[in-house]
Amino acid sequence: MERVGVFLCTGCDIGASLDAGKLEGVAKEGGAIHFQSSACLCSGEGLSALRGAAEAGTVDGVVIAGCSQRHKVEEFRFDPSKVQVERVALREQVAWTHPPGHEDTQALAEDLLRMGIVRAQKMIPAKRLEEEIARTVLVVGGGLAGLEAARAAAGLGHSVVLVEKSGALGGHLAGVREVVPDSPPYGALHPSPVPELVRAVQGDAGIRVLLGTKLLRVSGQPGQFRVELEGPGGKEELRAGAIVQATGARPYDASKLGHLGRGSSPDVITAAELEPMLAKRELSRPSDGKRPGRIVFIQCAGSRDAAHLPYCSSECCGTTLRQVMAVHQAWPEVECAVLYRDLRAPGQLEHFYRAVQEQSGVMLARGTVKGVAPAGDRLKVKLEDSLLGENVEIDADLVVLATGMVPNSADGEAIRQLRDAKMRIERNESETQVKLNTELAQSLAHHEGTEILNLAYRQGPDLPTLAYGFPDSHYICFPYETRRTGIYAAGALRAPMDPAQAAEDGCGAAMKASQLIASLGRGETVHPRAGDFACADFFLQRCTACKRCTEECPFGSIDEDAKGTPQYNPFRCRRCGICMGACPERIISYADYSVDAVAGMIKAIEVPEEFDEKPRILALLCENDAYPALDDAAMKRATWNSWVRVIPVRCLGAVNLVWINESLSRGIDGVILIGCKKGGDYQCHYIKGSELAHKRLENMQETLTRLQLEADRVRVVELARNELSRIPALFDEFAGKLEELGPNPLKGF
Amino acid sequence: MSAEAARPLLVVGAGIAGVTTALEAAEAGQEVVLVEREPSIGGRVLKNHQYFPKLCPPSCGMEINGRRLSKSPFVQVLTRSEVTAAEKSDGGWRVRLRRKAEHVTQACTACGDCTKACPVRVPDPFNLGLGTVPAIRIPHVDAWPRRHVMSREACPPGCRACADACKVPGAIALDAKDRDEELLVSAIVVATGWTPYPIEKLGELGGGVLPDVIANVHMERLAAPSGPTGGKIVRPSDGAPPKRVAFVQCAGSRDVKHLPYCSAVCCLASAKQALYVKEQLPEADVAVYYIDRRTPGRNESMLARAEAAGVRFVKGKVGKVAQGSGGALSLRVEDVEKGRVLDAEADLVVLATGMVPAGNGALPVPVPRDGDGFALDDRASRVFAAGVARRPEDVAASVRDATGAAARAMAAGRSV
Amino acid sequence: MASALGISPDRAFREELARRGAASAMRCMQCATCSSVCDLVTVDSMFPRRQVLWAQWGLADRLRGDASVWLCHQCNDCTARCPRDAKPGDAMQAIRALLVEQLGAPRFMARLVGRAEATWPILLGLPVIFWALFIRSVNGFAIPRTPLVYSDVVPQWMIYAVFLPAGAFALLAGAVGARRAWTAWGEGASRSGGLLRGLGAVALDILLHRRFQSCTAARPRRLGHLLLLWGFLGALATTTLLGIGIDVLGVRTPLPQLHPVKLLGNLSAVLLAVGVVWLALNRAGNAAAAGASRAFDLFLVALVTLLVFSGVGAELARLWLPAPAALAIYVLHLGMVLSLFLTFPFSKLAHALYRTLAMAHERLTADQGRKP
Repeated sequence: MERVGVFLCTGCDIGASLDAGKLEGVAKEGGAIHFQSSACLCSGEGLSALRGAAEAGTVDGVVIAGCSQRHKVEEFRFDPSKVQVERVALREQVAWTHPPGHEDTQALAEDLLRMGIVRAQKMIPAKRLEEEIARTVLVVGGGLAGLEAARAAAGLGHSVVLVEKSGALGGHLAGVREVVPDSPPYGALHPSPVPELVRAVQGDAGIRVLLGTKLLRVSGQPGQFRVELEGPGGKEELRAGAIVQATGARPYDASKLGHLGRGSSPDVITAAELEPMLAKRELSRPSDGKRPGRIVFIQCAGSRDAAHLPYCSSECCGTTLRQVMAVHQAWPEVECAVLYRDLRAPGQLEHFYRAVQEQSGVMLARGTVKGVAPAGDRLKVKLEDSLLGENVEIDADLVVLATGMVPNSADGEAIRQLRDAKMRIERNESETQVKLNTELAQSLAHHEGTEILNLAYRQGPDLPTLAYGFPDSHYICFPYETRRTGIYAAGALRAPMDPAQAAEDGCGAAMKASQLIASLGRGETVHPRAGDFACADFFLQRCTACKRCTEECPFGSIDEDAKGTPQYNPFRCRRCGICMGACPERIISYADYSVDAVAGMIKAIEVPEEFDEKPRILALLCENDAYPALDDAAMKRATWNSWVRVIPVRCLGAVNLVWINESLSRGIDGVILIGCKKGGDYQCHYIKGSELAHKRLENMQETLTRLQLEADRVRVVELARNELSRIPALFDEFAGKLEELGPNPLKGF
Repeated sequence: MSAEAARPLLVVGAGIAGVTTALEAAEAGQEVVLVEREPSIGGRVLKNHQYFPKLCPPSCGMEINGRRLSKSPFVQVLTRSEVTAAEKSDGGWRVRLRRKAEHVTQACTACGDCTKACPVRVPDPFNLGLGTVPAIRIPHVDAWPRRHVMSREACPPGCRACADACKVPGAIALDAKDRDEELLVSAIVVATGWTPYPIEKLGELGGGVLPDVIANVHMERLAAPSGPTGGKIVRPSDGAPPKRVAFVQCAGSRDVKHLPYCSAVCCLASAKQALYVKEQLPEADVAVYYIDRRTPGRNESMLARAEAAGVRFVKGKVGKVAQGSGGALSLRVEDVEKGRVLDAEADLVVLATGMVPAGNGALPVPVPRDGDGFALDDRASRVFAAGVARRPEDVAASVRDATGAAARAMAAGRSV
Repeated sequence: MASALGISPDRAFREELARRGAASAMRCMQCATCSSVCDLVTVDSMFPRRQVLWAQWGLADRLRGDASVWLCHQCNDCTARCPRDAKPGDAMQAIRALLVEQLGAPRFMARLVGRAEATWPILLGLPVIFWALFIRSVNGFAIPRTPLVYSDVVPQWMIYAVFLPAGAFALLAGAVGARRAWTAWGEGASRSGGLLRGLGAVALDILLHRRFQSCTAARPRRLGHLLLLWGFLGALATTTLLGIGIDVLGVRTPLPQLHPVKLLGNLSAVLLAVGVVWLALNRAGNAAAAGASRAFDLFLVALVTLLVFSGVGAELARLWLPAPAALAIYVLHLGMVLSLFLTFPFSKLAHALYRTLAMAHERLTADQGRKP
């Protein structure tokens, strides 16, 4: 902006620790056209003066030199189309954390103010995208979760298209009469909600049900998905604003359960195979059609087993209890024995567990099943019983394996790797290339033809999966967030869960879909920068088609044309800036946040001459975890080295190496990046940001050596949101290290 | 869309469930009023040191949620406020709110001058009464909104120390009074959360009797950097780090004489807390005494993780906890898998107490409840429940249900 | 761990147990609270948790082969603390009742007593009617002189004629049951000596009911049991001495009020009376701690009460009531004594037998590991 005004708050100890007069000088030098100091900027006259100046149009950019961007947000909110705001945290970064009146303290404040002014000057008002947004919600999968999602979305006023690949709605529960209770009375089976739900969905004018239909191709972006379908009625194309994927889960492949007798006798069946018998009220052994006298249920068949499914499938204990209750009610004379490791009936299900035990002819034993083998026309189940403390054998006429569940997901990234490998093999550039890619292709062969959504995304045709094939990203705090904007996973696809939970999940996913459509309608992005609307801007003339942005975007926002030129999809974008950090040509920027702006801030740092022995340290802190932690440390009046200049960044992945080069070549002695935890249990809100920053810095080491700089001058650190006390220590320790290394040889050049 | 839909949605309780319901609805363009009795949002989750199974700090997610609340023009957060009456009004509800006296106003900059000046200390409510804090203070380090709160009742007569120390005009109003407000809302979401089952009711396990028998909620505060010990796990009686820690599962839960249901989170909470101990005191012997290890879904990984760290899981419910010899506690329990009855010794005993639905009876909104006091949806009268007010569940499930509740409540609001 | 044993859940047995009061036990989730609050549990007895599991699965053979159910004093600490309200105490009671029936011989007698809720009129009435008919057939209730002397109407030989065989039957039946139990317990356990050695070792414990003290909640009942025990012993001594006196020394009845044997008899009567009242009140007083009262328990309470009070009554009535009334009471008394003799091995009273054996067995197997 051209007309930047500086508004200095001298409250909260700022005035007492700094020379306001000098700061005014700095502001003027920096090109601020307006300077105003007030004893309390956030209320009373101070605030009204600030607002006055902004509304009068005296200034179009305001630098608020006072508390950090995390405080007084509402007081200092302006219409972004008129006024750009930059916050300079003199309170937290300077006054509260450094000795008052000290020259280094003053120097720190002046640097920060310069940096703020430059940043404000380099901001440009962003325009909101105003485009046609389709309000239709596409629901993929007609099981319980999908049905609930469809009903909920319709309830929120959306038109819904429900696509089911099979010929009927209801999924696994289609043929199930009763379910475990999720409301009173908790001691009894409840009729399945599915039939009523199917009727409701089929009867809802706002919901279009497409059976026997699959997705050929989904292109475009949220708000504007182009969906190509093929069903009994042939091919069709439609538009959708958001997608709920509720493709559910399938039982674990029982053929791998030989150790539990599967295959040794037709009378060893799975829970799923028992369902039709219960539904038809025809209980008989596959071998001879006789009614079994005793059924033995074996829990954790495949689940909680490193050799099969490492996770617990959550619903099997409930399902078994339900089946036992159903058997007992229809055939009281049939004995049921349940062999479990831990009986998992969480919450109110405990009531049902108790009720099932009270049925005569129901027995439970805890232990490890050591084998199931035919014995005459019956079966012998060997159990290492941990309650009796003995090995025991129980005769059974029918054995039911409570097999775990496997999500019906497709690993989009793996499929994409497979496709790339094949492509390179065809290209046949070099022996080794072909060899390498053939191996890769073989290792990924099992992903062949597993596509579900068939997204026309550069990064792959389906949702990337996190652990165990479940396609989520922040499953504790933000369970519906996937890595593809506008596509929400729901039900057993997302995590192992029971029917009641799946229904709830479908409802929640519909909420997220509706929210996305509303947000796009306002031209805004969604979680975690909800409300943000400035899009990335690509200056393609200078693009070298290096593909880093398309590769590294965590949300698959960027496609490529044949030449490899990036094609940006603003509605897929979450504004994390990782593409901006990735681009070596610095052609990607946001109106309010750019490589140039931050580089300018770095340039604004005054680097004292070598003999002043006043080193300078640049600290780039992730604004999600590290920066708030530092803010809180300041609140607790922690103190740290006053050579440090902190710049908050959207994500460590949004750090462009150019900034580090710039800093070092300008004589700044060291650069420290502090971001979120990476790895399997990552805490990075953009999934890969912290990971990428670490990778990029590794690759940077040789640049450093080329500049004849010690690798130690650049450091990247992981930090959790609550590790307040660590940051000051990190700064001081890094400063110490830099003193050892001596001043940056490039100083003064 | 009908007129009522323009009315805001009322969300009662700003724990993780209430905050989620409010935000998911607000970002979808629904006007929301979020009412919270406490001075800041976050409820129980912010009292936790870490979440299972990622062992990440709750403040990480709440930071984002706080920012979303600050940013969203559609949500209004009323802290230190309670619903005092609710009556049906053409399809929606007319509710009366009691806004507690704002002794510290929105003008507060959280500079802390008042806290320095305050001559009185009160038991720290955020740390469940472990330790004390000045009568005027920031509720806790992650507090949103970032504003001081005053325990006015604790002020000595005529004391103006804070008011005199405060440099921000209008930030402190010693003579502020409670206010009542009336509000027309389209629907109500009850997210009033839970309270820990009182350990005093578990006398046979030493609850409320033996100083070194604590509840799992206390353990979270002991392990948290923001807690009374700065994150050091020590035993209350002598402040020494425990050499042997025992976790007693189902302390109240799964017990028809206490809570007949399973509280669904305690197994995981204990596995997590066992890891806190192992991380700080690798030499410590840590045992978890359980009936069933209930770690569903991907949380199963917590078991392996804890076992790898050397945590012992022993099948058997503890029957008695008594003061043993030399300051140690003695636990009587059968190790079912070994078939032996033990008198196990421990320096610190953590009772994995269960969750009791809160707001039961206190909330004037007519909510149908099950036999255990958990709230049920009432679509007809447009009252919905979210989080642990609805069923015992962990954070991830609360967030899921809260998002669903937002959808149900918004849909109900439309359908007048 | 032992090599695999086939376990055959016996649903009939399980349901029979449920019928006798173990129904709640089916709710047991094996949390083992019971064995951690039981005063009788030993380091590796897993008592009563494992017994409840056996009951759930209907593992009759396991329960038959297990002496520890007999050591339980029914203090019901387990029931009081059970988180699932599975009432292990009631389960132990039901198990013992069922075992008494299963161990008892002859079968039909065991069944008869085992179903006391239906058969009590026969069990109590038949003996009385028998005596009435017997006396009538002998002397038609002729009362030669007043004040009434019972031996005029019921001479000693009649007493012998009935009670000697009845006693013999009781002893024999008891012995059979005892033998069955003793052998069943013997399997899978090694005893350090024979039955007598065991009995010798525990005699004092039993006479003083020491074990009862270890059982907090049961302490109030200890006194009652002691009184009854000593009362019965006293009564037994009295009868024996009387027999010797009359037949060997030719003593004449009725004895003068201050005769030592008379005094002993009266003392025993008082002990029994106080004892049975104490227990009845205790049972009525705190039903919870006492556990559910079933026909099996009530029958014994009723029998002993009638027995004692008809005895005392007969003694007083002889002096103060018209002769026919007194005689009626006396006949009732004789009936009750007979009933006691005949039902002893099958009624709850049999616990005196089996618990004694169990204690002996426990003593003999103490610090002897279970056989692999």
